[in-house]
Amino acid sequence: MIEILGLSKRFGDLTAVSELNLTVRPGEIYGFLGPNGAGKTTTVKLLTGLIQPTSGTARICGFDIQRQTLEAKRRIGLVPDEPFVYPKLTGAEFLRFVGDLYGVPHENQRRRIPELLEMFELGRWGGELLDTYSHGMRQKLVIAAILLHEPKALMLDEPLVGLDPKSARMAKDIFKKIASRGCAIFMCTHVLEIAERICDRVGIMIEGRLIASGTIDELRRSHGSGAGDVHLEDLFLRMTGSLEYAELLKNL
Amino acid sequence: MPNSSRTSEGIAALLLRRKFLSLQNRVLSMTLYEWGRNTAFLLMGFWMLAGLFYGFLRVLRYLSGVELIGGLLIWKLTAMSLLTTFSMVVLSSLIISLTTLFYSSDLRYLMRAPVPLRWVFWDKSLETVFFSSWMIALAIFPYFLALGRVYHYGWGFYAVFLLLMVPFLVLAAVLGMGFTLTLMYCFPSSRTRDVVWVLSSLSVGVLYMLLRFSEPERLIRPDALQLVSEYLQYLQAPTAPYAPSWWLSQALAGYAGGRMSLFWTQAALLTGAAAAAYGALLWLAGRMYARGYSGAQEGRRAYRSASVPPTMEYRLTRLLCRWGGDPDGGESGAAAALFWKDRKCFFRDVKHWSQILLVGALIGVYLFSIHRLPLDTPDLKSLVCFLNIGIAGFVLSSLGLRFTFPSISLEGRSFWVVRGAPLGIETLMLEKFVFSLAPMLVLSTVLVAVSNHLLGADRFISWLTLITIWLTTWTLAGMGVGFGAIFPRFHVENIHQIESSAGGFVYMACALAYVGATVAAEAWPVQMHFQERLGRLHAWDWRYAGLSVALLAVINLVAFVVPWVLGRRCLQRYEGD
Repeated sequence: MIEILGLSKRFGDLTAVSELNLTVRPGEIYGFLGPNGAGKTTTVKLLTGLIQPTSGTARICGFDIQRQTLEAKRRIGLVPDEPFVYPKLTGAEFLRFVGDLYGVPHENQRRRIPELLEMFELGRWGGELLDTYSHGMRQKLVIAAILLHEPKALMLDEPLVGLDPKSARMAKDIFKKIASRGCAIFMCTHVLEIAERICDRVGIMIEGRLIASGTIDELRRSHGSGAGDVHLEDLFLRMTGSLEYAELLKNL
Repeated sequence: MPNSSRTSEGIAALLLRRKFLSLQNRVLSMTLYEWGRNTAFLLMGFWMLAGLFYGFLRVLRYLSGVELIGGLLIWKLTAMSLLTTFSMVVLSSLIISLTTLFYSSDLRYLMRAPVPLRWVFWDKSLETVFFSSWMIALAIFPYFLALGRVYHYGWGFYAVFLLLMVPFLVLAAVLGMGFTLTLMYCFPSSRTRDVVWVLSSLSVGVLYMLLRFSEPERLIRPDALQLVSEYLQYLQAPTAPYAPSWWLSQALAGYAGGRMSLFWTQAALLTGAAAAAYGALLWLAGRMYARGYSGAQEGRRAYRSASVPPTMEYRLTRLLCRWGGDPDGGESGAAAALFWKDRKCFFRDVKHWSQILLVGALIGVYLFSIHRLPLDTPDLKSLVCFLNIGIAGFVLSSLGLRFTFPSISLEGRSFWVVRGAPLGIETLMLEKFVFSLAPMLVLSTVLVAVSNHLLGADRFISWLTLITIWLTTWTLAGMGVGFGAIFPRFHVENIHQIESSAGGFVYMACALAYVGATVAAEAWPVQMHFQERLGRLHAWDWRYAGLSVALLAVINLVAFVVPWVLGRRCLQRYEGD
């Protein structure tokens, strides 16, 4: 369970996240949408303890990310927007390192790491240094790493960027399966088709404020569209005011 | 259609403009706190340079007072200082150019842009010249300021010095860049390149040791030469006639002495050589850079097993966890994992091997120098053993700047992995501390224990220096990690940007001040010890000895705890570069 209570973050004069209140229940996939610079990545950083909020708090499985940081982090899995990994470790070593950081028993690591590498088609690359990996391969490795320690709350920041179609499909299925086991998933994405397909609820953020939250049908109803006849993309563009781009296109 | 007919000047201006704009934006976006902090650093830097200036002034005034040969001595010293400066810039450019020329993050964009390859190289070569020489050039500046002051040279002397320093530094940096460019061209395979890189470092290390073992200091001791005429001949002889440092020192001497033909000849030689060398480098770059850059894009293949066997590391990790009272892993397991990760990453980086080789050469030269010190009496030898703490402390501080201070920043962009993991900042810092402490303890023990043995220090001094250096090593490692956490820089392209940052400067200044305070605090008991050795009865005043111990404890406590606590707080609040 992820509970966000009045979370705000300011950087000088800029309010990146403003009074965010939200709950992601166990087994639920929550899609967090918004234009570039809306504050999505900052929210993920706040939820994972990478940065500290100006006010408010977040609880992961009941543990306050500020006060009970280690307990909360033990239950979190993070896929950041850029999969930076240690270039001088091999793929298998990176997984072992993450496994040890999260206290995964060594017997489990010995069994699971080869399985995970094979699952993401990284088996024959598992002994190569990570500076030889492509962006997509590193992204797959980072997703494999979160599966190793079985988190209760998953924070995904654009998790499918750089993945080939097969891997993207597999990743989506994996997220759904993890959620079905009771994991709460908070996913930032720009790919609205993915949000439409796998998210139980979505929230739309603009300039640090959550302007809408609910199931896609609820959003359609609240914005005057009948169920099923409007795509999430149109709804998103209407709510974020991005339809003005048609005017800009004329100048191209 | 993009403007494909952009002139060379246009491209150069465009490339320079982006650097200028980056600098301008950086300055304009500084907060009040950053203005205050940077001003404080500038003031500290100014005071250090002022200290150097007064040091040089005293030395030069003393030398200028030596009858007959004073002037010769000073210009000999000037030529030697310039030779050292030149060698240091060559070495620095060798190390830095690998990153700036081949691994800079903006190269990916520049290589795709419609910019001729030579101009990309030109842009990166300017960066290399700047980064490899600015600090060294700044350090030599007070020397020439003092020289001008001693002889009352006018502003013209300083202007000539500043103008001629440009081709001098460019020439030194060109040598380093030329070597790296050729290496990357000839050995596009990363593995071969690594081997050549290590062998080159080994050669430099061996050369350095051989040079030292040939005892050049015998030449500047008049008693080592049989005749006065030989000594005068030595002083008048070029330090290294074909080295640009000699041309520069001759040009400056010529200008200062009003021998304008000598000045013009040497200045033209230096400037012409720099222009020719840089032109040749740009020409070579047109032919070699593309292949070298392409080779640099290939990763290093590891061919390691992807399986996860129960290795020794696993067993040790488990053992550490049990010792830490945490059999399921927890923070002790995480700290052990970090330690193994750091070990692997450190030894797999070939740049570290070359530095380890150079450190090995440094130790050899250090101990040889101690061995050859012309000391006659046992008392003097013991005294030198005590003062050796200061020198060993300086060496440890420098190594701390290279290895300990950057240890947190070296987590780099992967810092999110440990920051997001169930691992406290304190544990992370402790792991970095232990990782640095172990080799530094071995090194400091070797430096001090072997020096004591070579000089035959008495029992009291031997134990005092050994215990002090252990304490110093402990505190310097803590300071290094602490300051590294206060000034983390995760988004840099090479380690030199971390070392030469404002944080590195503050660490070094504090480390040197700490070493000086340690030696000063022990001066009382050492003085009493020597009084006893010289036969004075009741030499020991235990109140002063106690005060000295208390002072030492306070100095170490403050030097360790203050940066550590501040570093922990800063890293906890860290929100990005």
